Amino acid sequence: MQFIVEDAESHLNITVTEPRIDAAIATLFKDKLREIVVKNRKPVHMDMAAVDFMDSSGLGAMIAVRKSLPENLALVLFALTPNVERVFRLTRMDSVFDIQPRTSQSRTAQPRTAQKEQRE
Amino acid sequence: MTPSERSDPGIGTRASALTQPMFHRVLNAHPMIVRDTLQDVRQRFRGEVGDDTLGRLELVLAEVMNNVAEHAPLSQAEQARLPVIHLCIVRHSSGLACALTDDGVSLPDDCLLPRSLPPMVADDLPEGGFGWFLIQDLTQALCYYREESRNYLAFSIPFAQMEVDA
Repeated sequence: MQFIVEDAESHLNITVTEPRIDAAIATLFKDKLREIVVKNRKPVHMDMAAVDFMDSSGLGAMIAVRKSLPENLALVLFALTPNVERVFRLTRMDSVFDIQPRTSQSRTAQPRTAQKEQRE
Repeated sequence: MTPSERSDPGIGTRASALTQPMFHRVLNAHPMIVRDTLQDVRQRFRGEVGDDTLGRLELVLAEVMNNVAEHAPLSQAEQARLPVIHLCIVRHSSGLACALTDDGVSLPDDCLLPRSLPPMVADDLPEGGFGWFLIQDLTQALCYYREESRNYLAFSIPFAQMEVDA
């Protein structure tokens, strides 16, 4: 389980490098991430651009991490891919997390991956 | 190929005349094997159906198959053997028809009853209970029955409107 963790003084930047947050790794993902955020006690900016897929167990892990932070510390999710965004939206969890389109790094803003269906 | 694979349900005779792309796999219900299978499904239908449909298919199949894995019997006698899932997906004109059977535990009735999201309590958010909500939300014509030691689940993942029009 790999994360890139960077302390940016005011907050913690965490880049998730796992392409899938699914039932195979949800428990480990939750435990590792919870350990990181609890230890640092800072608002967290998570870059999710590398995550192609997340299922309900992955969502459960994200909620557990949110709950491990005190309510006054933000957990901001950046650059959700369409498959990940769908799970947050359908479960209404997009109202619980602060979801932002761009990556947390000072990269140039990029348009989100088009969600348009391919024609057949 | 075992003889039982050939009698797998879910493919109407009418559909076979249209020679649509399909996927068929027999797998052990284990999260890593489910993950590999989903990646093969994606590979199989990439270019055949749109990304949005593929994403919805992958999510539903993950929820269904990981449920089987998660609720695998843990009794001493059966510990050595994982439930076996048969998965079959066929592309139809309006969507992807899926049929899954498994020899895991029986599905509780309330999985198939209309579901809403687990209650959102601000200071104690639910960490689970989303799986069957997502399955019900993303599928059409969801049906289930159990016969002897197997579960049978069938449903359709509709194409997005643009794909149907195309």
